Amino acid sequence: MSPAPFRSVISLACALVCVLTAAAAQAQTPAAPAAPPSWQQGRNAEQEKSPLHPFAIEVTGKSAKELPVDKLKVPEGFKVEVWADGLPGARSMALGSKGTVFVGTRQLKDVYAVVDRGGKREVKTLLKGLESPNGVAFSRGTLYVAEHHRITRYDGIESRLDNPPEAKVVVEGLDPQNQPGHFWKFLALGPDGKLYYNVGAPGNIVMPAYFQASISRVDPRTGIIENYAQGVRNSVGFDWHPQTKQLWFTNHGRDWLGDESPNDTLHVATRKGQNFGYPYCHQGDTLDPEFGKNRSCSEFTPPALKLGAHIAPIGMRFYTGKMFPAEYQNNIFIAMRGSWNRSIKQGYNVTRVIFDAEGKPKMEPFLTGFLVDEKADPPMWGRPNDVMVMHDGSLLVSDDQNGIIYRVSYGTK
Amino acid sequence: MNGNCGAAAMFAAALCFSLHGAAGEEVPRNAQTCVACHGPGGNSTDPAMPSLAGQPAQFISLQLFMFREGNRKDPQMSPIASSLSNADMNELAAYFSRQKPAAASHETTSENAAAGRRLAEQHHCVQCHGPALLGLQHIPRLAGQQFAYLRAQLRGFKARTRADFDGNMTSAAELLSEKDVEILADYLSGLTPRRD
Repeated sequence: MSPAPFRSVISLACALVCVLTAAAAQAQTPAAPAAPPSWQQGRNAEQEKSPLHPFAIEVTGKSAKELPVDKLKVPEGFKVEVWADGLPGARSMALGSKGTVFVGTRQLKDVYAVVDRGGKREVKTLLKGLESPNGVAFSRGTLYVAEHHRITRYDGIESRLDNPPEAKVVVEGLDPQNQPGHFWKFLALGPDGKLYYNVGAPGNIVMPAYFQASISRVDPRTGIIENYAQGVRNSVGFDWHPQTKQLWFTNHGRDWLGDESPNDTLHVATRKGQNFGYPYCHQGDTLDPEFGKNRSCSEFTPPALKLGAHIAPIGMRFYTGKMFPAEYQNNIFIAMRGSWNRSIKQGYNVTRVIFDAEGKPKMEPFLTGFLVDEKADPPMWGRPNDVMVMHDGSLLVSDDQNGIIYRVSYGTK
Repeated sequence: MNGNCGAAAMFAAALCFSLHGAAGEEVPRNAQTCVACHGPGGNSTDPAMPSLAGQPAQFISLQLFMFREGNRKDPQMSPIASSLSNADMNELAAYFSRQKPAAASHETTSENAAAGRRLAEQHHCVQCHGPALLGLQHIPRLAGQQFAYLRAQLRGFKARTRADFDGNMTSAAELLSEKDVEILADYLSGLTPRRD
């Protein structure tokens, strides 16, 4: 979890205008005090002196040549290489049917398109000036983009990469309060043809409004929205099981409850309408010290797997490609972008989730080497953000810290 | 920032200043424009103009980015940043971060030395800017920075007119009185800008 840039200034300015407008009779009253940045919300008095802080991305990107990419490690038989750099803030990825890789950003305003031209990647800034366009999804020739406040479509995009069409609105008004919080969106197309997106919690640990801390879906043909899952603090990665077609998603737990609590989590929604606990119950078994009073975790659907405290799972995909060994089929890869909110850092890797004969998940590291010193500030040189299976079965990994995309392949020399 | 270095003066000065890079180091071409106002090697002698020497590279590239993208606005910096590529910004950031900060020229009043230390503690400045206020990552060095510049930034954050990457400074500066701003700027500007 880390704050959106500039956003708070804009919303603070808005808050100021609102206060002054609504309370004209009390024009002498000073403006409402600035809320603490959402990452600080929920600290106790002692934690106000904590040196822990979210890490800022390199907004101008880093060249792969300046980074220790040779330190990256993958299991025996696999190979990791830099696939493309020069995409500052690269986050969620979507794959076009002709092979274009679309890449969203959260702290910039751009969406990139990467085209492979005879083994060399060409990076184009496809869309500019958007509001935190974190979510990208592709279907039947159309690119869908989720911004803070709306979801838009760009039809026939792969034949118009140098001349993209105007955005057509699928749905807007998704951020009516325009306030700081977890309101950048992940976007994916479900097996039902609907677009699924998250609206996170407005702070670290606060009572969300009815449309917040949820995963919703919208039918792109009608623009009709349904709430699908509730009590989800912030999920910025989901996918559907290739066989059961159930929705699996990662979720970020709250901060400032200590190094070991609570875990970030992996969930499965077996049907519409389940509640996963926020802000009352964390990781399926830990009541919140404030909001959990007089509640029980048995009210809520527990996670499928605890992933580690503050490890910040972002993108996740089931592996359905043909390149990796057979035992990787239908495994999940998860990009761990943290942690920052613990004194001994962990994560900063791509993790593999394997299911045993009973369908019980367990996890192991798959791509490591970004974490250099678990006690240093910063502890890492790169941060995996999303994973995506390519048409050839290789796995792309985005790194928004540096604006780089890596490729993991198997059986290549 | 309200520097008193006009555009014409800036380019004229660029021709006169010799560039003080580390020994044998290649000085980026674009840095010549910077040092006209920010001083040789990025050590400013103008109270309104910030020193860049020894600032964290990520802080410099982030500010250049914000000027280019229009989040942070300044009559001199906005046009200069508008023509810089990401690679240019990274090059300038790396160069100035390697330069040695000159000793602080500002002398803090004895009264403000104690009061400033208390305020810096009370408002948790060291939590982000580091124990010696030397900055890290995208967070700037405050120790030994120019007085009028620091004061202008704090006033800007308090007035919500200074672009803020993550909302932290807008929130922190809100609690400062105008007198606190004056004391903090006086205190920070007189601190030693390096560890040695």
